Amino acid sequence: MNTNENCVTLWQKWNSHAINTPEKDAVIHWITGEEPGRWTFKSIIEQAEHFASFLLDAGIKKDEVCAIIIRHNYYLYPIYMAVESIGAIPAILAYPNSRLHPDKFRQGIEGMSQRSGLDYILTEREIDPLISPLIHSHNSTIKAVHYPHEWLNSPKPIENIKEKISEIQAELSSNDAALLQHSSGTTGLQKPVLLSHKAVLEHIENYSKAIELKPDDKIISWLPLYHDMGLIAAFHLPLASGITTLQIDPFEWVMAPAILLDAVSKEKGTLTWLPNFAYNVLADKIHEDELEDVSLDSLRLIINCSEPVRSESHDRFYSRFSSYGIKREALSTCYAMAETTYAVSQSKPGSPVVNLSINRLEFSKGRIEISDNDSASKTYVSSGAPIDGCQVRIFNDFGFELDEGNVGEIVIRSVSMFDGYRNYPEKTAEVLKSGWYFSGDYGFLYEGNLYVIGRKKDIIIVAGNNLYPEDIEDVVAQVPGIIPGRVVAFGEEDMSLGSEQVSIIAETAVSVERELKTLKMEIIKAAMQIDVSIRKVYLAPARWLIKSSAGKPSRKANKERIISGETENIWS
Amino acid sequence: MISERLKKTILETLEIDNFDIQPESTADQVPGWDSLSHINVILAIEKEFNVRFKGVEVMKLKNIGDLQNLVDLKLSN
Repeated sequence: MNTNENCVTLWQKWNSHAINTPEKDAVIHWITGEEPGRWTFKSIIEQAEHFASFLLDAGIKKDEVCAIIIRHNYYLYPIYMAVESIGAIPAILAYPNSRLHPDKFRQGIEGMSQRSGLDYILTEREIDPLISPLIHSHNSTIKAVHYPHEWLNSPKPIENIKEKISEIQAELSSNDAALLQHSSGTTGLQKPVLLSHKAVLEHIENYSKAIELKPDDKIISWLPLYHDMGLIAAFHLPLASGITTLQIDPFEWVMAPAILLDAVSKEKGTLTWLPNFAYNVLADKIHEDELEDVSLDSLRLIINCSEPVRSESHDRFYSRFSSYGIKREALSTCYAMAETTYAVSQSKPGSPVVNLSINRLEFSKGRIEISDNDSASKTYVSSGAPIDGCQVRIFNDFGFELDEGNVGEIVIRSVSMFDGYRNYPEKTAEVLKSGWYFSGDYGFLYEGNLYVIGRKKDIIIVAGNNLYPEDIEDVVAQVPGIIPGRVVAFGEEDMSLGSEQVSIIAETAVSVERELKTLKMEIIKAAMQIDVSIRKVYLAPARWLIKSSAGKPSRKANKERIISGETENIWS
Repeated sequence: MISERLKKTILETLEIDNFDIQPESTADQVPGWDSLSHINVILAIEKEFNVRFKGVEVMKLKNIGDLQNLVDLKLSN
């Protein structure tokens, strides 16, 4: 029997909870209008062992990567845990929606299979026509596709699976790979981040301290598990810590956002993580009668993470829900990324988040000066102080460290740092230098707190998802009527949503209104193939776009022209 | 059959000029109708037809024909 202290793998941790607190809820799978599905620590381990016997029987071995492409359903959790149990490496990928073009989906998986070295796919029979051709593709590393839901009613092929798992686990070390998560990107540009058991478990220990995690905490989450915030904060953290996580299918939350609040109220949830846009959705899009009998006073932390935090969103949320029991100090913030397992910094529990009012003029010069003049200032929300095991520095573009109060690139060192992108040495070399990770985010430190301003590169962050503009430009550029190479994609702030939306500027020779409308629709449809929604299309005449020094249309300069209202000759 | 009024409400919310919406069309086939705009479409329909949907009713909708049927049902009650 493992005591909790000497567990070196995730499975050993989970198993120790199954022994010590067998009847405690591990995962509550929330389904609107139905009784929730409840996994105790004991029952989820037993179900994982059942799946594990089939995985072993299928020949899956230690360190082989199992991509899990399964909807956010009741059995997703033990399937994931089964992969862990046999020393293989789980990687949860987004389940394709029907909007995504099948060829684009397969190209994405093929690219990922070469880069990440995917060995097996665990999925659902429904998408077999989409998935199975991948085995025969000459570019693919995938050996087989399996359908774990079909194993549910079959007897275990390996009877003594518990002993088999114990033997495998005994051979594992804390430095063995625990999981693979993918850092941003839409199609082929996702970067695989491999994390060891040590990195994940140390991170959980450090982050638990930062949020003052308690044994009776209960996490409520609608976040997808292919995203680091959902996977690490709302799944691994509670499971390894022996606390309960309530999971809502993200598609259900999108359909009816009030279910999150209903779940908090009924299950007395204490912690939740949300991307910024969700604060606006919850504050603005829920009818009052959906909140009948809802009480939110159990929530001690609502942690804003994965896109820039907007103070207006916190204000709206607090204003709407303070009468339902939300306390101002429960509105919390975090800065996180897959490369450091998850969190880099966290605001202090029980204290209101620090907002800084900054002089805009000084800020434009890269310096921080506190201002009390509203019209000349902008408010930035602190993401808190670095958590234990994490160090943060700010560097300028020439590679020199800057003092507090100066804006530059956020550079991080963490005990839970990744070792590099898997099979991607050139990308690793770009970002990992002497043990420090160059995040590509701009920000500053002030009185020990970190403030994140935005991305150094042109990445567009829509509702917590990072999109590469080049992916979008590539598909839009193929639309007939667009002048070749004359497209830029950028993120445009949507104040009502509390996030960015994707905008396109494209040059065209078309000038007739009807044809412009058709072209706009074709551009939107082209981006749908890669599951990207374009909110605004700006069509410009030839030679409208400003070029950068590299000779390509400049995203930044052209975005600024549009934002500043320089829209003469532009159709939108 | 999707009514012109429902179609107009959807397209105006999504800020698109025209798109052929059939009863079997699904939300993700309609340009601009994604997870972020979904709630806006639902709220706009509620406002236009002066009806209220429950979360569980919206979740059960498989296509826009189902949505039309739900609107018709609410209006007939």
